Amino acid sequence: MGNEKDPKIVSRREILKLAGTAAAFCASFGFLHGNQTGKETVQAKHLQMKWRQAELKWYKGDELLHSTEFPARVLKHLQSDEMSVIEIKWFRNGKLEQSLARLAANR
Amino acid sequence: MAGPHEILGMSRVLEISTTEFLARYTDHGGTTLRTEEDGRCAFVTPSGCRVHPRRPLVCRLYPLGRTTDETGEERFTLFPRQSDCEAESGRDGTVGRFLESQGVGPYLEWSRRYGELYRRMIGLLDRLDAEGELDAPAEAGGTGPKEGPGRAHLSPWQDIDASLSEYCVAKGLTPPREIDESITLHIRAMEEWLNDLQSGLGLRNARDRF
Repeated sequence: MGNEKDPKIVSRREILKLAGTAAAFCASFGFLHGNQTGKETVQAKHLQMKWRQAELKWYKGDELLHSTEFPARVLKHLQSDEMSVIEIKWFRNGKLEQSLARLAANR
Repeated sequence: MAGPHEILGMSRVLEISTTEFLARYTDHGGTTLRTEEDGRCAFVTPSGCRVHPRRPLVCRLYPLGRTTDETGEERFTLFPRQSDCEAESGRDGTVGRFLESQGVGPYLEWSRRYGELYRRMIGLLDRLDAEGELDAPAEAGGTGPKEGPGRAHLSPWQDIDASLSEYCVAKGLTPPREIDESITLHIRAMEEWLNDLQSGLGLRNARDRF
């Protein structure tokens, strides 16, 4: 199989199966692909808990004044990395006044 | 998340096939375990986990999470205790002893071996992408398990019973009964499938062959 006398043609169906299997393994094993070090690497994430939903809430005493979910783009970033952190900072006229909190999912 | 080897193990505890398990208990193309509407695991009952002897790796690790970086170095994190979790916990002992007590070793080894297959798959896809072959017209044919009616998985390889059944028929083998043997044969079948793909792609310098 696979020599010049018997040329093998890989079908589109097989390529779809290949892509589907890679996607399935990525999801079912928690594999990530990267080549940051210049060579092909596979990272694994075996995590039982992720950021699922994140909300910001404003209270006056015990009274909830307003609640809003994090933007989808931010939530996606949080869900992709269990080490993600959220920092809440107070700015005035573009100048940092105070760092209020630093929250991490795995703390 | 649940790999095909974990689905196999749980299906054996429940005494059903992996095909039935995938249909009844998984979502997202057969890659994650189905949960109840309130997010609870479908296998957790008041008397405990229904698949505990063959629970998946992430369940064995909990309350730890495990990641590896691009150099392969592994790192463990401790998740916060969930309010409704009745498990005993403490900070005595070591991570190593905890992993040993949970029977994590074989699962990490299988994860490593399936990870090698995943690395090869990504390599082949990268090569196809570089050659522009992912835009080529469709053709029939190929080896490995076929997608059958009613299979909604991302990959037919997720279904070990079905894929091994086809593989064993093609090779004149008797499907193994033991879980470990089945996983070993599943990995071998996938290696052969990837070998076939690799050798096929190795000949495709001319685009009109594709």
